[in-house]
Amino acid sequence: MLKIENLSVSYGSVRALSDVDLEVLGDGILHGVIGPNGAGKSTLLDAVCGRRRPVAGTVHYRNEDITRRSVAWRRRQGMARSFQRTSVFQDLTVHEQLYLVAQHLGDNRLDDVIEVMDLAGYLHQKAGRIAYGVQRRVDVALALIGRPHLLLLDEPGAGLSAAETLHLFEHLRDLVRERKIAAVVVEHDVDAVFACCGKVTVLDLGRHLATGTPQEIRADHRVVAAYLGTAA
Amino acid sequence: MSNRTTTAASERVAPLGAIGGSSLRVPLTLVAVAIVFVVGAVAPTRFAGDFALRLGNEGLLLGMLALSVAFLMNQAGLVALGAASIYGGSGLLFAIAMNDWNLTPMVALCVAFLIIVVYATVLGALIVRTNPLAFMMLTLAAGEMISHAVMLEALRDYTGGADGLVVSFKGTVFGMEAADFASPARFWVVMWVAAWLSGLALWAVGRSRLGAILRAVRENEERMRFSGFDTYLPRLIAYVLVNIVAAVAGLLHVLNAGFVSPESLGISVSTNSLVAALMGGIAGSVGPLLGGVIFSFAQDEFGARGLTQLLTGIAIVVFIVVFPRGVVGGLSSMAWLRKLGGRREAS
Repeated sequence: MLKIENLSVSYGSVRALSDVDLEVLGDGILHGVIGPNGAGKSTLLDAVCGRRRPVAGTVHYRNEDITRRSVAWRRRQGMARSFQRTSVFQDLTVHEQLYLVAQHLGDNRLDDVIEVMDLAGYLHQKAGRIAYGVQRRVDVALALIGRPHLLLLDEPGAGLSAAETLHLFEHLRDLVRERKIAAVVVEHDVDAVFACCGKVTVLDLGRHLATGTPQEIRADHRVVAAYLGTAA
Repeated sequence: MSNRTTTAASERVAPLGAIGGSSLRVPLTLVAVAIVFVVGAVAPTRFAGDFALRLGNEGLLLGMLALSVAFLMNQAGLVALGAASIYGGSGLLFAIAMNDWNLTPMVALCVAFLIIVVYATVLGALIVRTNPLAFMMLTLAAGEMISHAVMLEALRDYTGGADGLVVSFKGTVFGMEAADFASPARFWVVMWVAAWLSGLALWAVGRSRLGAILRAVRENEERMRFSGFDTYLPRLIAYVLVNIVAAVAGLLHVLNAGFVSPESLGISVSTNSLVAALMGGIAGSVGPLLGGVIFSFAQDEFGARGLTQLLTGIAIVVFIVVFPRGVVGGLSSMAWLRKLGGRREAS
C-alpha cells in the first residue's frame, strides 16, 4: 500500500528525517509510529501526505510514485490524514462539514462515519462549540470520509485522557480491521499503541530505529535505550 | 459498524445550503420580498424629488460596489482594495469603445464588459493564490497602476487624462435612450432592478455549494486541501463574480452620468465601497446596498456643512462601534434578542 524509500526531509539546515525506509501493508492492521520528541514522526506523515516536500527519497502509494503529487490529488486517491492539532471547520456544524466533504468525494455512506465516530448527537452543533475530544473525533471522521485506502493519523489521542485515547484507538483498530485498509498512527501514548497496533515503527532523531510487532519492539534493547526506558 | 448504506444522516438534517423554515413561512417571505421590490421601484419615483433620486442612484451604485467587496470579504475572507479600477475601468473602456472605436452602444457595452472581465480573470489568476494580506496589497497595487496609467500623457488621446471622457450615444441600450439613463426617476428603476439582481445572484452563490466551499476554504484552507478540494479555483471564480458586479455598476454609472472621470478609478472609490460595506454589514446582500445608500446621503449632508472628511470619520467610528456587524447585522441581532425576550416572558 505504502512504500517509503530513503526518505529525507529538511527544515532549512536541520535534517528532520534521514534515509527512512518504511513499508505499510493494506492488511487491516494499525501501524503505529512512536519515538521521542523531535524524532520526525509528524514530519514523516507530512512527507507522505504531501504537506512537506522531501529533499531525497520516494513515496510509493499503491505502486505509484507520488512523491511530487499534490495534497488534494493524494486525498482523491484515497490517502487521508488527521492532524496533531485538531483541524476542523470551527464555524460549520459537524454535519455541514462532513456533508461537504462527503459530497465532494462522492461518499454516500456518511452514516457509517457518523456512527463509527459516534457523532450523531453533535450533528447540529458548530464544531467550535463542542468539546475538544469530540472535535478530535470530527477530525478523524473527516479523514474517514470517501472510504480511504490509507489513513494517516497524527496523534489522534492528543488532548485526550488515557482512557479516551485507548477507546479511540480501539475504535480505529476495529475500523481498520473491518475495512482492510492501511493506517499509520503517530502517537505518544505508548500503551495505546502497544495495545491496538499490529505493527510498530520507532524513529529516533530522524532515523528509523526498528519495526516489528509490539512484543518485538518492547524487547528491542535499542528502543528501550532510546525511548522506552523502563516505562514499557 | 453498521452495514447500512442509506443516507439517514442526510435525512436527519437538511443538506448544505437548503432553505430552512416551515413551508408556510417561505411563501409569505417571498410575498413580502416581492412587495418590497415593487414598492421600492415605484414609490421613490412618485414621491421623491430629482435630487434625492440622484443621491439614491449614487448610493445604489456605491452599494453594488460595496456588495462585491462585502461578498469577497464574507465568503472568501479576502479584502479587495482595487474595486474602483474595475468600476471606473469598465466605464472608461465603454467610453473609449464608443468614442474611438466607433462601436454601437450595445456592442461597446459588451466589448467593455468582456475586456474588464478578462482583465479581472487574469489578475485574479495571479493573486488569489496569495494570503489575504498580500491579496489586499496586490489589489491596491493593481488598482493604483490602472489609475495612474489612465493619467499617462501618452494615453491622453484615449483616456482623456485628468479631464476624463464624455460619453454621448445615439440609439438605445436595452431599449433605453441616453435621456432615459440621465433621468433620475427612470434610472432609479434601472438601478433598483440591477441592485436586486446583483444582490440575489450573490446571495444565491453564497447559499450554493460554491459558497459553502468558499467559507470552508476561508476558515481552514489546509483542511480543505486535505479533504481533496482544489482551493484555488473557487476563489478565482468568486473574484471574477464580484468583479462582474463591479463592472456592471461601472457601466451603469457611465450610462447615467454620460461622463467618466479618472477619479472613478481612484483609491477613494474603493475605500468608500469598503466603508459602505462595513456600515451596512457584510453578511448578506442587503447590508452593503443599504450601506451605499446611507453613505451617499451622509456624504451629501456632511458636504453641505463643509465638514465632509471630519464627519465621515466620526460617522465611521460611531457606526463600527455601535454596529460592529453593520446596520443590518445590528438590527437583526436586536430583533432576535427581542424575540428571545418575548419567548422567555411567555414561558
